[in-house]
Amino acid sequence: MTPPPLTQTQRTAVRLTNVTKTFGTHTAVNQISLAVPIGCTYGFIGPNGSGKTTTIRTILHIFHPDSGEVEVLGERSTRAANDRIGYLPEERGLYKKMTVRRVLAYYATLKGMNRADTAQGITHWLAKMGLTEWADKKVEALSKGMAQKIQFIAAVIAKPELLILDEPFSGLDPLNLEVIRAAILELRAAGTTVIFSTHDMAMAETMCDFIFMIYRGKKVLDGTLASIQQSFGEDTIRVSCAGGADLLRSLPGVELVRDLGQSQELRHADSQSLLRDLATRTTVRHFEVCKPSLHDIFIRIAKPDSQEMQAAKTTGGGS
Amino acid sequence: MNKIWRVAATEYLNAVRSKAFIIGVLAVPVIMAISIGAQFYAQKKTDVTPRRFAVLDRSGQLYAPLAAKAKARNDAIRAGGQSVAVPLPGQSLKVDLPPQAEFVPEEFKFASDDLKAAELQLSERVRRKELFAFIIIGPNLLDARATNGADVLYHTQTPTYQDLPAWLESTLSAEVRERRFTAAGVDSRQVRELSRGVPVQRLGLAERKATGEVVQAKRENRIATMLVPVGGMVLLYLVVMTSAPALLNTVLEEKMQKISEVLIASVPPFQLMLGKLLGTVLVSLTLSALYVGSLTWVLWQFGQLGNVPGQLFAWFFLFQVLALLMYGSMFIAIGAACNEIRDAQSLMFPVMMVVMVPYLMFIPVMQSPASPFSRGVSLFPPATPMLMFLRIAIPPGPAWWEVALGVVLTVVFMLGCVWASAKIFRIGILSQGQAPSFARMIKWVVSK
Repeated sequence: MTPPPLTQTQRTAVRLTNVTKTFGTHTAVNQISLAVPIGCTYGFIGPNGSGKTTTIRTILHIFHPDSGEVEVLGERSTRAANDRIGYLPEERGLYKKMTVRRVLAYYATLKGMNRADTAQGITHWLAKMGLTEWADKKVEALSKGMAQKIQFIAAVIAKPELLILDEPFSGLDPLNLEVIRAAILELRAAGTTVIFSTHDMAMAETMCDFIFMIYRGKKVLDGTLASIQQSFGEDTIRVSCAGGADLLRSLPGVELVRDLGQSQELRHADSQSLLRDLATRTTVRHFEVCKPSLHDIFIRIAKPDSQEMQAAKTTGGGS
Repeated sequence: MNKIWRVAATEYLNAVRSKAFIIGVLAVPVIMAISIGAQFYAQKKTDVTPRRFAVLDRSGQLYAPLAAKAKARNDAIRAGGQSVAVPLPGQSLKVDLPPQAEFVPEEFKFASDDLKAAELQLSERVRRKELFAFIIIGPNLLDARATNGADVLYHTQTPTYQDLPAWLESTLSAEVRERRFTAAGVDSRQVRELSRGVPVQRLGLAERKATGEVVQAKRENRIATMLVPVGGMVLLYLVVMTSAPALLNTVLEEKMQKISEVLIASVPPFQLMLGKLLGTVLVSLTLSALYVGSLTWVLWQFGQLGNVPGQLFAWFFLFQVLALLMYGSMFIAIGAACNEIRDAQSLMFPVMMVVMVPYLMFIPVMQSPASPFSRGVSLFPPATPMLMFLRIAIPPGPAWWEVALGVVLTVVFMLGCVWASAKIFRIGILSQGQAPSFARMIKWVVSK
C-alpha cells in the first residue's frame, strides 16, 4: 500500500516558533524558532546551562512554553505525539531493583506497545546490544555502559518516529560508543528523525545533517555544517612547526591558538605574513588555511564577549 | 486512561513482589505468634523455686492461719492444672494459669523486744539466701482503731517480685477482717451478704418491630461493642499507614534516580500520579483482604462472626480507599517536592500530625460516640475515615445523614488533595536544587 502524500506540516518532525520559556526571572529559552525536517539527524550543541535540555523538554511537552508554538509530528501543543517519540534523558533513569526485561517492558507499554511486540523488541534489541544474557538480571548489577545501552533500548524499543537523545555518548567507552552510534545511524537510515545533544563536536560534525547551537537561551547557529562553516569563512590556519604552541602564541597577531598536539589551529588576519614570519623563526612542516572546525566555532561563540556572539546577538541567530 | 492502569499495575506488581511486602504481610501475624509463643515459653520458664519467708508475728495470732492458707495454696499448686474460664458469648474459653511458686512460711520466735536486732538478723538470712523475704506483723494489727503497730512490714532483696507481697496482703487482710468482725460480735457471713456489690447488667434498647411485636433489649456484647469497633479502626489505620507513606519513598526515589523524567516523557504527570495512587490502593486492599479475611476466619472458627455486621466490611473498604487517596496524595506531594530523604523529614511532621488526629481522638469518640465533639471530629475529613468508621461500628451508630455528610466532605477534601498534589507533582518532580518548603508548595498549587 502506498503511503498517503505528506502535507507541508508532516514534512517537519519538529517546528518551534518563537518559543520562550522562563523559570522565575531566568529566561532558559528565548524566542527560539527551529524546523527539524523528517528523516534527518539534528545536533543540538551549546555549553552547559545554555538551554538545550529545556528546548528538548519543551519539544516533549514536559515543559509548556510561556509563549510561542510547538508542533511535533504534526500535533500542536499537545502530548498526542509523545507515544511516537523516543527519549533518552541526559541523566539516566532505570529502576535498579527491577530486571532488565521488566524495565524495558514497562517503558515499552507506557508507549502503547502490546505484549507480543514488546517481548519481540526486547529480544531483538538486547541481542543487538550484546546484552541477551543480562535480560533477567537486576539493573543494579549492570555496569555503567550496559545501563546506558539499556536506557538507549528503552528509548528506541517502541519504534519511535522521532528519537530525542540528550547526551547519548557521555561516559561511554569507545566500543559501546560505536555500538550506539551504529544503532542511531541505522535508525536514521530507516527513516527515524533523530535529534541529539552532544558536547562531542567531532561526533556532531560526522553524524548530523543539521547543527543547532543555543547559547544563553538564544539560537546562535542553525544550519548544515557546510553552511555554518561557510558563514565563518576560511579564517583558520592549521600549522605544524618546531616550537609548537608556545612559539605560535608569542607571535604578533596570532589569536585563539588551539593545541592539537602534533599541530596547532589558530587565527591570523594575514596568513601569508604569518607564514613568512614563521619561516624566518623556525622549521614549518605543515601550513594550511582551512574552514574552522565546529569545535573552533563553538569555542569562539561560547567564549565570553566573543565577536561571534556579539554578531549572533545583532543578527538574532545563525543561518 | 490506559496508561494510568499500566502505571498502577506496575506499581502494584513491584510492591507485592517485593520482599518488603511479603515481610510486611507476615510481620503482624508473625510478631503476634512470636509474642504469644514467647509468653508461653516464658511461663514455662517462670522461676517456681519455693519462696521461703519468715514471719515475726508480734500480734501472736496470725502466723497459724497464714501458715494454713499457705499450705492450702501449695497443695493446690502441687495438684496442678490451674486455669480460669474466660466467658465468650455462647461459649467459655479455658485459659491455663502460669505456673506459680510455693510460699513456705516459717515462724520467727524472738525473745527480746529489740526489733532492730531481729530485723538485722532476718536481713542477714535474706542476704545469705536462706530466706526470700520476711514480714513483721504489727502487735496491734487486730485492733481496728489502732494507728500504731497496725501494719505489716515486708522486707526483701527482690522488690520486683509481686506475687508474694500481693498474696500476703490479700490473705492477711481477709484473716484480720474476719477476726475483727468476730471481736466486734458481728457475723462476718452476714456482713458479706449485706455488703455484696450491686451487679449492673449492660443492655441495649428494647424495640418494636413493624409487626407490633416488642423485642426485649439484649444484653450488651463486649465483643460487638468494644472489640469489633476498636479492632476494626486500628486495623484500618494499620493497613492505610503501611501503604500510604511508601508513596513518598517511591516518588522521591524515582526523582533521585532520574526515572521521573523518562516517565513524564511518556505519561502526563497527572496520569502518572493517579497510576501510583491506584497502585497503592490495590496494594493496600490486598493487604487488608488478607488481614480481614484471616480475622473473619478466626471469628468464624470461634463462632463470633455474628458480632460483626456485614455492612461494616463495606464501610471498612470504602473508608480505606478514601483515606489512601487522601493521605497518599499528601505523601506524593511531599515526595515530589523534596530532593533527598533528609528534606522529607521536616515536611513529614505536619502531615503526620494530621494523619495522627484520628488515632489521638478515638478514645473520647469511643466513650461518647454521639457527643457534639465526636460528631464534629468525625466530620473533619482527614479524621473521617477512621472516626466515622468507629462510630458506625459502635451500636447503634450515627444518623445516616451524618455518615453521608462525612463521606461527601471526605470525597470533596480527597479530590482537593489529589488536585493540589497533582499541581505540586507536575512541577516538583523535575525541580532540582530548590529547598522544599510549604510556601513553595503552595506557590506551585496556585500557579497556572
